[in-house]
Amino acid sequence: MPRIDAHLHVFTKASAEFPREISDVWPAEREEPVEKLLDEMEKHQIDQAVLVQMAGASIENHRYLLQCLKAYPNRFVGIGLVPEGHPNPVEHMAELTDNTGIIGFRFSTFGGPRDIFAKMDVREFAAYPIWKCAAERDYVLWLYPNAINAHLLPYLIEAFPQVRIVLNHLAVCPGAGKFSWDEFGRPQVQVTGYNLFMHTTYRLARFENVNVHLSGQYAFSKEEFPYKDLAGWHHGLLGGFGAKRLMWATDFPWILEEPGYGKLTTVIEELLPNLSEAELADIMGGNAKRILRFPDL
Amino acid sequence: MILPTPEEKRQWEEEGYLVFENAIQGEDLKRLQNAFDHWADACKAEWLDRVEAGDAAATFYDIPNPLEKDPIFIDIIDYPSYYGALMDFTDHDLILLGPQVRTVAPWPVSYTGWHPDVGYDNPLHIKVQIYVNDVEPGSGEFGFVPGSHKPGSGPYTRPMRQESMTGHKTFPGKAGTAIMFNSCGWHVSMDNHSDTPRKSIILIYEKRTPGRIGPKQYASISEYCQTPERRKLFSLDG
Repeated sequence: MPRIDAHLHVFTKASAEFPREISDVWPAEREEPVEKLLDEMEKHQIDQAVLVQMAGASIENHRYLLQCLKAYPNRFVGIGLVPEGHPNPVEHMAELTDNTGIIGFRFSTFGGPRDIFAKMDVREFAAYPIWKCAAERDYVLWLYPNAINAHLLPYLIEAFPQVRIVLNHLAVCPGAGKFSWDEFGRPQVQVTGYNLFMHTTYRLARFENVNVHLSGQYAFSKEEFPYKDLAGWHHGLLGGFGAKRLMWATDFPWILEEPGYGKLTTVIEELLPNLSEAELADIMGGNAKRILRFPDL
Repeated sequence: MILPTPEEKRQWEEEGYLVFENAIQGEDLKRLQNAFDHWADACKAEWLDRVEAGDAAATFYDIPNPLEKDPIFIDIIDYPSYYGALMDFTDHDLILLGPQVRTVAPWPVSYTGWHPDVGYDNPLHIKVQIYVNDVEPGSGEFGFVPGSHKPGSGPYTRPMRQESMTGHKTFPGKAGTAIMFNSCGWHVSMDNHSDTPRKSIILIYEKRTPGRIGPKQYASISEYCQTPERRKLFSLDG
């Protein structure tokens, strides 16, 4: 069974050939290229990976991702982005998925009522055309919902039960103003001690098309690797979703310095030590291969 | 004080729950409904801001510090229709842990799955859920597995769907109904597929253990706790 890293990012220096947005964390001269990733994968026996677009959502911003997917069609699949408020998201998605290796798109908002007590008509959600298109064209939806959007998800999922959904980073829904970067250049998301997600995203386990990737522990934990304070979250997700709907991921490159790629290949064994060999193999790659339809090596 | 009948005691021991229909009625029920609606409305905007900030769950909300907001929320803590049973079951050594004055939104999925609150080694832990509005079947009514409070029962596992829980019973009811249950037992809020939020109050009690609740916890309402019984219930003297 392949070992698949189900969520990470690669990028190159900003250039005319590969335009991208820049920030303090990914300035124009920084690069975390696919070759560096392949070195880490080789060292730690990881066979395949999901490359998730970052640093811009325009078609041009996706050029480096598209090049990586073209160069290594058996090693990677891609997840793209759609610019917020794009006038024609369906066309944008179609262009990016035309035999490119991009299999889906990442979103954090759904454009529905902020108040869960409001009348919900899913056809009026701004994201409705995107989900409809995903259903028609078999895209995967890669979701990292903002906290104020979490309650909208089951309405969309009920409307489109055929869409494959992957909740990102332990099904956390970051709160507004709770995001920062730490001294190792890693995202940090401040979360409450009480796990609120068991009342929102964990409840989506009922829907068989919803999956979760187990990653980003460093961003939520108050401890060093192996982030034992998050063992309960992992057990909760395993209990709800089962071992067939969870996928391990590293969130490369943010973790390269601390704790390092190699350590993260063991994080599932550390946090879910009672998994059977078969369950561990599923989470470490079997599920990603089946759900995301990775090519055979 | 209305003490439980032998039949009620038997049901409590064997099944782990009791239902008090019309536990609160008439003017008291109206006072409770008015206070609930007023404060739920007043607190909603702040709750939504907390949801947005990631500090509160999106699927339900509780009125913060309800005991300080209206005396009716204090009066229901030792309300005669169920207080006698609480006292009897705890050998007249009862303390309040806290109230949850809770509004649960209609949602395709219940906000919680089947669970017990405490282990069998916990001091007797009792909840009383009071319906503030009528709770019809399929609108977030309480569910409980009779007998699951007993050590040696089960094992129980959480099913994907609420209605798939083995041996469960659901408790729709009219406003003013109170359901008392042993919190070792597996329980849940059923799915609410209606258009109506479920309004209820969950009172949490325990058999007293030293230091469980400090005297400062309810000091702000001490003016409403002049009798020795209330002072003991609210742990005001430590």
